[in-house]
Amino acid sequence: MDVRAQIVMAFHLDKCIGCHTCSLACKNIWSDRRGTEYMWWNNVETRPGVGYPRGWEDQERYRGGGVAEGKNVNLKSMGKGRTLASLFFQPNLPRIEDYYEPFDYDYGNLAGAPEGDDQPVARALSQVSGQPIEHIQGSANWDDDLGGSRLYAASDPNLPDAAIVESYATMFMQYLPRICNHCLHPSCVASCPSRALYKRGEDGVVLVDQNTCRGWRFCISACPYKKVYFNWKSGKAEKCIFCYPRVETGQVNACAQSCVGRIRFVGVLLYDADGVAEALLQKDADLVEATRALILDPKDREVQKAAAKNGVSEQWIEAAIGSPVYALVKEFRLALPLHPEFRTMPMTYYIPSLSPVLSTMGDTYRLMEKGTISLPETLRVPVDYLARLLAGGNRGIVEEVMRKLYAVRVFMRGENLGQPADPAILQQAGLDREGALRLYRLFTIAGFNERNVIPPQQREGQTPELRKQEAGFGILQRVKSERNDLTRRGGKDD
Amino acid sequence: MNTFIFVALPYLVLALLFLVTIYRYLTNRLTWSAYSTELLERRLLYWGSNPWHYGIIPLLLFHLVPFLFPGLAAGFLGNQQTLLVLESLGLGLALLALLGILILTLRRVNTAMLKRSTYFSDWLILFLLLVQVGSGVYIAVALRWGSLWYLHAAVPYFWSIWSANPQPEYLADLPAVVKVHAACAFLILGVLPFTKLVHLLYLPIDFLKDQPILYRWRGRE
Repeated sequence: MDVRAQIVMAFHLDKCIGCHTCSLACKNIWSDRRGTEYMWWNNVETRPGVGYPRGWEDQERYRGGGVAEGKNVNLKSMGKGRTLASLFFQPNLPRIEDYYEPFDYDYGNLAGAPEGDDQPVARALSQVSGQPIEHIQGSANWDDDLGGSRLYAASDPNLPDAAIVESYATMFMQYLPRICNHCLHPSCVASCPSRALYKRGEDGVVLVDQNTCRGWRFCISACPYKKVYFNWKSGKAEKCIFCYPRVETGQVNACAQSCVGRIRFVGVLLYDADGVAEALLQKDADLVEATRALILDPKDREVQKAAAKNGVSEQWIEAAIGSPVYALVKEFRLALPLHPEFRTMPMTYYIPSLSPVLSTMGDTYRLMEKGTISLPETLRVPVDYLARLLAGGNRGIVEEVMRKLYAVRVFMRGENLGQPADPAILQQAGLDREGALRLYRLFTIAGFNERNVIPPQQREGQTPELRKQEAGFGILQRVKSERNDLTRRGGKDD
Repeated sequence: MNTFIFVALPYLVLALLFLVTIYRYLTNRLTWSAYSTELLERRLLYWGSNPWHYGIIPLLLFHLVPFLFPGLAAGFLGNQQTLLVLESLGLGLALLALLGILILTLRRVNTAMLKRSTYFSDWLILFLLLVQVGSGVYIAVALRWGSLWYLHAAVPYFWSIWSANPQPEYLADLPAVVKVHAACAFLILGVLPFTKLVHLLYLPIDFLKDQPILYRWRGRE
C-alpha cells in the first residue's frame, strides 16, 4: 500500500447558479496576460451543450485521455515513436477557433473618433491579431443558458436522445463548472516529451515546469478535459495550478473562495497509488467503484501508518479525517468523477443536480403526492445523461445518488414541518438520521472552514537556518516570461 | 574576404554559439521554446513544417556525418552508384525543404493571426534559411558531386577550424555561391542562440525510457 495525499475539489451542481464569478476570479489572478486571453482555467459551461473548447468530450477528434490495452493504460493519442515523428505538426491540437478568438473592444474610438454624422462605435478587435472582428464567433460560454438550442445543446455527446432538448416539455439545463482535475493518472503528464509536466508528490497538484516546457503541445490534446492550454505568446503550455500559492498558505482556491453559491468543497483524500494503473483497466461502468475503492479511510490505523511512512504529515491526516470531500465522495458516495471513462482518474468530484421543480400535473405529481421519491425515469434531467457525464454510463450509480439526495430533502421537509417523514425513506436510500443531518448541514449552513479543510504544508524538514543557507542572498534575477532575444514586437501593442 | 568568411566568422560564431547558449540556458530558460504557432494557423503549417523538418534534418546529418566520420563517408562515396543515390536523395530532400521554407515564409507574410507573434528574429531566420536552402539547391544542381568534393574540401577545412589551425585555402577558390552557402551557414549558427532556433539544441528523448507519470517531491531527488 503506497498511501499518498491528494487535495481535491468537489462541486455540488445543484447549487451552481452559473454566475461565472469563479471564472472571473481565476482569470483576474492567473490568466489575464498576453497569450492567455483565451484561456479559462476555470470555466462554467451550460449543459447540455458543446462546452469549451467546443466538443471537448469528443475524443475521436481530440484523442485525449487513456485507453485500456491489455495490461496497460496507454495514451489514446499516440505512442512514443509517433510522438517524436509529430513534433513538427501535432495532428490533434485544437485550433484557436475551437476555443474562441479572444476579443476586446476599441473603446478609445468612443472618445477619440473625429466629428461626424454618426455616433462612434467600439468595434470588436481580435486580441490575437489586433484586427477588427466583424462577427464574433464565440467565447468561453457562448452557449450560456442555451440548454434547448439545436445548434449547441443538441450536439452534446452525452444526450441519450437529442430530440429531448428540442421539445419544450422535456428540455432541461444545468451548469457544469470545470477546473483541471489534477488526475491520479494524468495523460498530459504521460504525453510530455520534455517531461515538463509533473504531479507534486505531497498534494497531487499537476503543474507545468515553465523552464522545462519546450512547447511541443502534446499535453494540450492529450488532456481529455482540454485543461492544458497553449500560450501563443510565450510558446509554452499553461494550466490550472490549483491556486497552489494560496493553498500552500492556508487560503482556499480563488474559484472556491469567490463561489457565490458555495457549491465548492476543498479537502484532502488519501489514496493507494499502487492500485491506480490497475483500477483504470476496469470496464467503463466499473470505473467509479474502482476509483472509490482506491480512496482510503483516513481513520484506519493501518492507513495512517502507511501515510506517515510516505511523509504525509499529522496535520494532513487530520485534515483528511475532517475532509468534506472524503465524506461526499466515499462515505456518502454522492460525489462522482467527471467522465471517468477517459481513464485519467480525475480528482474533482460532482454531486449531480436534482431535477427542476416537478410538474404540478401528471405522473410525477402523483408520485410526489405519495410523499416519496420520484422514480429516476421521471426526473427531468435524464439519468442516462448524468450517467454518461459522471459515471461512465452506469445508471445505477447515479440512481443511488438521486435516491439519497431526495431522501435528505424529504426527511428535512418532515423535520421542518414537524411531521417526521417515514424512516424507511432514509433507510431505503442507504442513509441514517445522523448522516442526513450531516449532509443537510454540509449543503446548506456549513461555514467556510467546514467546506474547505486545507492543511498547512509541512515545512518541518526545512529548518529556517537550513533554508536560509540554501537561499542566501542569491542572485537577483528579473523574470522574463516574454521573448527577449534579438527581437522587437512584431505588431503594435494594444 | 576569404579570411573573414573562413577564419574570423567561424570563430566568432563558435564563441557566440557556446557562450550565449550556455548563458541563455542558465539565465533565461523561460524563452526556450519552439514558439509553435499551430494553435493560430494549422492548414499551411502542415504543408510547411512537415516538408521543412523532414527535409532539413536528414540534410543536416548528411553534412555532419562526413565531418565526424570522414573514413566511413569516403568508403560510401567511393562507390559511384551509392554516390548517385546519395546525390539524388540529397537534391530531393533539399527541394522538399525549400518547398517547406517557402510555404512557411508565405504563411508568415499572409496570416494576420500571426502578426503579433512574429518577431524580427523570425523574419531573420526565415531569410537566412531561405538563402541557405536556395544556395544549397543551386549547388546541388550546378556543381554536381557535391557530396564528394564536400568530403575532400570542406571537411578538412572544418577540421582545421576545429584544431585551431585554420586553412581557408581549402575553400578559397570555390565559386561564390559556395561561399555564400558557407557564410550563411555560419550566420545561422551565430544567430541560433539568440532566436527560437535554440529548440533544435534540445532533443526530447528522455521520455522514451521514462515511466508515464512523473512525480516531484519537495526535498527529494
